[in-house]
Amino acid sequence: MQSELPYAADAEVSLSFDELEVLRSQYQKELAQTHVTVQSKFNYAWGLVKSPKRAHQVEGVALLQDIYRAEPARRRECLYYLSLGYYKLGNYDEARRFNGLLLEKEPANLQAQSLGQLIDRAVTKEGYIGMALVGGAVTIGTLLVAGLVRRAARR
Amino acid sequence: MGSHPNHHPPSSEGNRNGLPPTETNKQTRFDFLQRAIMAPFNHTSSDSTRILSDLAPIIMTPRMMNSAAAITSRQRTGSDRGTLSRNRVDFATIGRAPLRLTLGSHQVTSHDLQIMEAAEELLEAEIPEPQGVASNVSLLRGFNATIPSSDKNRARRKQMRNVDTPRLGLKRLGAGARGLMTDDDGHSVASEDDVVVVSRSEPRRKGKRRARESLSAAKTLGKEELTRQSEEILRDKENLHVRRSLINSEIEEITHKIEALDSIRAKLEEDLLKLQEDELELTAELEGVNERLTFEQSSRRDQQSGIPASSRRKKGPSFLPSEHDELPPGVAFMTLESHTTPITALDFSEPYGTLVSASQEDAQPRVWDLLTGSEIGRLRGHNGTVKCLQVESHLCLTGGEDGTVRLWDLRKVDDDGTWGDDLVSLSDVAEEEGASNAGSDATTGKDDACLRLLEGHTKAVTALYFEDDCLVTGASDKTLRQWDLNTGQCVMTMDILWAISHPHPTNIGSSVLNPLFPPASTFDGHFSVQMPAHSDGSWDMFEDFVGGVQFWGYGLVSGSGDGAVRMWDMRTGQAHRTLLGHTGPITCVQFDEIHIMSGSLDKTIRIWDLRTGGIFQTLEYDHVVTALQFDTRKTVAAVGENGIKVYNRTSMQHSTLATNGHTKPVERLRYMDRYLVSGGRDSMLKIWSL
Repeated sequence: MQSELPYAADAEVSLSFDELEVLRSQYQKELAQTHVTVQSKFNYAWGLVKSPKRAHQVEGVALLQDIYRAEPARRRECLYYLSLGYYKLGNYDEARRFNGLLLEKEPANLQAQSLGQLIDRAVTKEGYIGMALVGGAVTIGTLLVAGLVRRAARR
Repeated sequence: MGSHPNHHPPSSEGNRNGLPPTETNKQTRFDFLQRAIMAPFNHTSSDSTRILSDLAPIIMTPRMMNSAAAITSRQRTGSDRGTLSRNRVDFATIGRAPLRLTLGSHQVTSHDLQIMEAAEELLEAEIPEPQGVASNVSLLRGFNATIPSSDKNRARRKQMRNVDTPRLGLKRLGAGARGLMTDDDGHSVASEDDVVVVSRSEPRRKGKRRARESLSAAKTLGKEELTRQSEEILRDKENLHVRRSLINSEIEEITHKIEALDSIRAKLEEDLLKLQEDELELTAELEGVNERLTFEQSSRRDQQSGIPASSRRKKGPSFLPSEHDELPPGVAFMTLESHTTPITALDFSEPYGTLVSASQEDAQPRVWDLLTGSEIGRLRGHNGTVKCLQVESHLCLTGGEDGTVRLWDLRKVDDDGTWGDDLVSLSDVAEEEGASNAGSDATTGKDDACLRLLEGHTKAVTALYFEDDCLVTGASDKTLRQWDLNTGQCVMTMDILWAISHPHPTNIGSSVLNPLFPPASTFDGHFSVQMPAHSDGSWDMFEDFVGGVQFWGYGLVSGSGDGAVRMWDMRTGQAHRTLLGHTGPITCVQFDEIHIMSGSLDKTIRIWDLRTGGIFQTLEYDHVVTALQFDTRKTVAAVGENGIKVYNRTSMQHSTLATNGHTKPVERLRYMDRYLVSGGRDSMLKIWSL
């Protein structure tokens, strides 16, 4: 059986402040009653992950991890959301590992496949930026050293 | 620092700490600068070399290369691109390393670290197949169905139709009651939509009119809009369905949780009861130890008193062999079968001690060694069935149908069947006893186990109880007699018939005679009642007028065939209280400091309050009660069934001992501590661990 999952693009569409607030208050209310349903916990967590704020995303991932721990039946679905959350946070290694687990279970899952591609692309992109940075740093370093050497030689 | 040269003034703290000689200072500053400039490169290089070295073995191992080559050659067609991208990713990984180090723009919070650390652990966890609601309703569907905006369409449609609904706040109330996601302070999307409707609505009086107008389709919405609306409605209905199944699954889950908690609670309560039991047991054990202590001290004082003063009533827990604890409780672990007729009486000295048992139409009670389960010998002397007996240490008293009571020394019983029925006359024994002081070597002339013969009752002795040298017997001649075992003389006779006909004036209850047993039947010479059938349909005539006796100090309690439990004063010989309530002859009676317990042919055990004389509790059974014994914690009873009934007085639980048990109804039993002996109509004796 294949899990029903949103595409990664859905994670970029953030909820309005009000909507998130409703989800939060629902979650808090259930928390106060000491019985939190999985659904409202997930609703809040997913709302948080969709949010553009990093702090929100982190909290959302933490909640998803809670669900993952407490609800073995929901783990497979959570794999994807966790992966997505890590992806949004920029922790591509974790994102890829969680997504990999899901792909192991459901190789034909389109959402997971596309998320995997997204992760790869992001990693590559980051890699190039990193390379460029290193390159730039090396150049600057070389120039500096060269300058120093020249000055030393002149003296 | 202490070895620092003295010319530095001790006041300059900075100098002391800073290691200040000028040349070195310059050097360190340069060092620091160098280190600072080189730092990122050092880091990067170390990091990237680490990654390279991580990758290196994979890339470099020739075998790996070969296998990789083999694989690519085998599936050359599609895999080229894959390996390429794989390589690219590897380089990307290297490239990302500095980025992560240098451009970590976000500050790392503890939360971040937490979720990073948790990732490893979570990746380890196994992922079971989703089941139950997890397989029906995905989280996403639940999300879509429950987010506030799922109500948007409905509000929009309403607006479209311009049906203004009266704003009574009912919806929000209802939603709140159902625990749906609405915001309490009215900031939710749904309530904003509500506000929109309100703002457009006219005063209520007009609203009604307009509503009717709109419902009469005065306004045309267009086909497109209507199709869209119907689609939306269908989707909303589906959402509702999702929500319903979510709530149902929650309810189910809570039910499971409640069940689990309930079972935990029951378990804990059980534990609590067990603790209570353990505490009682410990208290009893302490009492026993203390008693033994005082007994051993007193016996050291006068070693020559051969018969230890033991009392069934005061007896604490006996000291069982340690192996006894390993026996499974509630199982008959030994069966003694040599009797051929139903057991009529039994008693034993102590667990794994000596057992004496008597059966119907058998004048010779058998003596058993409970450690080995072998028959030691027989008590020869009675003429007719032995109906009651009691064993204390090595002394045994038996009362028989022949109206006599015999005192035996069990130490002198051996399996020598040579001696015949040579009866020892009372005078002989009396002489013998007179010559030797109580209990000391009584083997003057004959090697006979029978120490004494007590004669006086004119009919079968049916109940007896002794403590130290005082004996009370009850017989079918409707009298109770008190004996002095030292002299063998009857000290007092208490006439039950007289007590029946002269009820004590202070006791109101006793003036009412039991209708089941009118005086006529009790007054006529022979007492005989047809016993209600046992569980297997068998029955006997019940002829034991006195079912049971017990005394403590001067207080005596008897249970008799007229269904009355009487309390006597042994100083006056008067019954000072009669407890009425049983509707059948009493078969057994026992009391402690608080309660009297009596079992009867009326299929009940009644527990009486010793002080007030009221019925404290009635235990009802399916068949006749023929024997019982109780302590503070439990009541063990033979109730005309194959199994032995145990009633736990602490937990109020009934249980039945049946494992490896009797094949016909149990009639007699005796227990000490956790060691029980029972005798049944199947002529067998069973030994149980409790």
